[in-house]
Amino acid sequence: MTTVTNRPASAGPSAPKKALIERLSIITGLLLGIVGAVLAWYLARTFLPVNTDGSYIKTRMDQEVFIAMIGWFVGFMTGIGALIGPFRWLLGKDLTHDETLFYAGKDQGVKRYFRYTTDHKVVGIQYLVITMVIFFVGGVLAMLIRTNLGHAGGNWLQPQTYNTVVGLHGITMVVGAIIMITGPFGNFIMPIMIGARDMAFPRLNALSFWLVVAAVPPLLSSIWLGGIPTGWSAYNPLENQAPPGMDGFIMAICIFAISTMVAGANITATAVKMRAKGMTWNRTPIFIYGVVASVALALPVFPVFFLSQVLSGLDRATGSTFFDVRGGGSPWLYENLFWIMGHPEVYVILIPALAALMEMAPVFTRRPLFSFNLAIMGIAGISGLSVLVWAHHLYVSGWAPLLNGPFMLTTELISIPTGMLFLVLIGTLWRGRVWITLPTAAIYAVLFNFTIGGITGIYLSDVSADAALHGSIFVTAHFHYTLMGAGLTSAIGALVYWFPKMTGRMFDKKLGWTAFWITQVGFNIAFMGMFMVGLAGQPRRVGAISAFYDKGNSITTMGAYIIMTGMLVLLHGVVVSWVWGTKATQNPWFAKSLEWSVAYPVPLENFDVLPVVTEDAYGYGKAQS
Amino acid sequence: MSELETTQRPSWWKRSDAKKAIFLWVIFTAIIGYTASIIQSRAMGSPASENMSNTINMVKIFTWAAAPVAGLVAALTITTLLGQRHFGDNPPPEAEHEIRNSPRVAATWVVVSTLLCLFAVIYGMVLVQADENKLRTANPINIDVTGQQWVWNFKYVDNGGAQSADLYLPVNKPVLFHVTSTDVMHSFWIVQMGIKVDANPGYVTETGTTPNKIGVYDLRCAELCGLYHAYMQKKVHVVSQADYDAWVQNQGGNA
Ligand code: HEM
Ligand SMILES: [Cu+2]
Ligand SMILES: [Cu+2]
Repeated sequence: MTTVTNRPASAGPSAPKKALIERLSIITGLLLGIVGAVLAWYLARTFLPVNTDGSYIKTRMDQEVFIAMIGWFVGFMTGIGALIGPFRWLLGKDLTHDETLFYAGKDQGVKRYFRYTTDHKVVGIQYLVITMVIFFVGGVLAMLIRTNLGHAGGNWLQPQTYNTVVGLHGITMVVGAIIMITGPFGNFIMPIMIGARDMAFPRLNALSFWLVVAAVPPLLSSIWLGGIPTGWSAYNPLENQAPPGMDGFIMAICIFAISTMVAGANITATAVKMRAKGMTWNRTPIFIYGVVASVALALPVFPVFFLSQVLSGLDRATGSTFFDVRGGGSPWLYENLFWIMGHPEVYVILIPALAALMEMAPVFTRRPLFSFNLAIMGIAGISGLSVLVWAHHLYVSGWAPLLNGPFMLTTELISIPTGMLFLVLIGTLWRGRVWITLPTAAIYAVLFNFTIGGITGIYLSDVSADAALHGSIFVTAHFHYTLMGAGLTSAIGALVYWFPKMTGRMFDKKLGWTAFWITQVGFNIAFMGMFMVGLAGQPRRVGAISAFYDKGNSITTMGAYIIMTGMLVLLHGVVVSWVWGTKATQNPWFAKSLEWSVAYPVPLENFDVLPVVTEDAYGYGKAQS
Repeated sequence: MSELETTQRPSWWKRSDAKKAIFLWVIFTAIIGYTASIIQSRAMGSPASENMSNTINMVKIFTWAAAPVAGLVAALTITTLLGQRHFGDNPPPEAEHEIRNSPRVAATWVVVSTLLCLFAVIYGMVLVQADENKLRTANPINIDVTGQQWVWNFKYVDNGGAQSADLYLPVNKPVLFHVTSTDVMHSFWIVQMGIKVDANPGYVTETGTTPNKIGVYDLRCAELCGLYHAYMQKKVHVVSQADYDAWVQNQGGNA
């Protein structure tokens, strides 16, 4: 990296010799990443002291794996070009205007999507694509799980394989769900919606995306390194006992956590500082509130996730004993750290999803958002309470039975601000003229699914009921109703809504509606079945079930195959509409927020003249005479 | 609402969409409450301890408390769909009003949801407290439970330290389990008795119950513990006191 050129970059294909920044792309990233990994691994093998202490047999292997993955990480980030900016700044030769434009992806066509591009619209599309890829992988894993559980006895997958499949499914889906709204729409739509030319820190924006990419190979490598037998929660001491695949998991989480923190800081700063003239907080669209609440909630909790995995990694690689009772540590410490992240994380997923629905509801009912203030209070209330409820995951852990009462209180209190968001949505639908479109259908489906997800959450938050239900597949059904039934369904609605702005084309209606009905019906079949066997006592995360649960599981597996069909139709719809869809007009939904005031393709800096805002985006409806 | 408005517009409950919604609400509440509670009590099976019967009751009561909420959401949303639907590529005409808020509705909604929430919390606290008290005041038999990848071991400390791999319990006698693990975390769960507590290496956790029905029940590990977690299941035999005494002596303990 010391060969940074100081030739004034005259961007453009006609330049005789390509400047370094023009050569870097995902290809150089992958190459340097692999070189870095191999080199680091070789050095580690050669120079790490031999482990003479026989008690921690796996330690040296774990050290090598970690070092190799750090080599990958450094190599990849260097190769993709993440270091050029800081390096040049350090040398006092900050990027020239041309170079900055090059970084923004000017005149590069498709290539800019494979580079360290800073334009928020490019980053938005990159996030959209990687989210779909992640969901695809997670979906394949889900189908493996369900096929294995299709009938009693299971064991179509080996137990070790099954556990790894469940863990990888869990973590890929959770990562996908965390980025599914704030990634594509938070990046592409939000800056336009608030009337800004780009994000507050465009380079951090590129950084957050490429960090997600950098996290993928370590995670997938775990498949070849013995798997992750722990589920996505990676509890200790099982994590400590696991094969080196666990190191891939740890590394991936650490990188992803950094990405989330970077994105969080960037999005928060953008929303706070870059809003157009006249866009007071009262005139700021509710979607912005949702995105900001989500990333601002992630900001304090993802460092905890990061920390918990670093400590686990140290236990594994150096024989420290943060979570090992034999050395004075405690597995309860890990459980606390994990869920201090884990519960707020579910709202990191859900809040922007519901906010997207609240953004769409006025457009499709042609009336103002019902009680903007209540919506904000709901979002704030959920965010605030969500950091105070984590120990409801520890009711039966035996850690602090005295705290069960207080945590039951805080957990159930969340139903109040959640109810406020329901009222906002229903109030907006009430006496509006409902325009039946896919986004509208998503609103109705989410109200339905999230009612079920929320109410089952109340059962689980009750301490004595949880003694029966914790660790059963009832829990799995509950969080699928919230994550998939509410979260993912909202994200699909949002995708159809903003598709014309992001791709210039309308989402194919026929394919969209077909996919909608198939997935919603399949979803409710699958997870209703799961509720029942859960109540009857089927544990979660088991690869072999007794004949007693056969019927319920066949129903669920059937439902899963229906979901799969629907999702494939949806994917087909995305591709078909993106490539061949009918061209969209500038404002196909006749909405009033700012992103619809610019034409497709949105120019590099979004606006020729920055807009001035004089009212909120919800001025629909006829004044009563 | 001002005097003027009340004379102009009929009271809200006389409007046709409100009537529809109320009608649907009653119907949905009844259907949801009835079917959900039937399915739940079927699925949860017949209880083998008071803990479990309390839990089943609680689930049913929660369901009946939640049914009006779910019913209301369903009724309101479906009513909006019965109203002025609009299809096509162009937007419908603007709504007939531009109401941005209704303090009365918002306040009612928040107050009612707060009351429901407090009901759930208080009811839950009372139940937990009752379980706790029973555990303290009874004069239970003590059993040490040890989880180990992927078996359970039971030690009947009050019966001369007899040991077994299946769990045997005398009927109608309070029992206190002292649970621990030798390796990773497991979770000790007797399905039909509605009790569960994690088995942690290095710590002893406690749970207790009084089995009240003779029979054979399911004991499962409820915390992912590695390769054969799915198979870490045992039977719980609840037998008469006489049978229990005989069994214990057979195991080398004393009754
Ligand atoms: C086709 C759709 C899906 C099916 C059939 C499915 C099925 C499953 C199954 C069978 C499990 C394992 C349950 C257990 O034994 O504990 C599971 C776990 C999980 N799923 Fe899904 N799932 C689907 C979609 C999703 C989505 C969209 C998300 C998130 C947005 C998600 C998040 C999770 C999580 C967090 C876990 C827990 C993993 C763990 O225990 O470590 N799933 N899913
Ligand atoms: Cu939680
Ligand atoms: Cu287990």
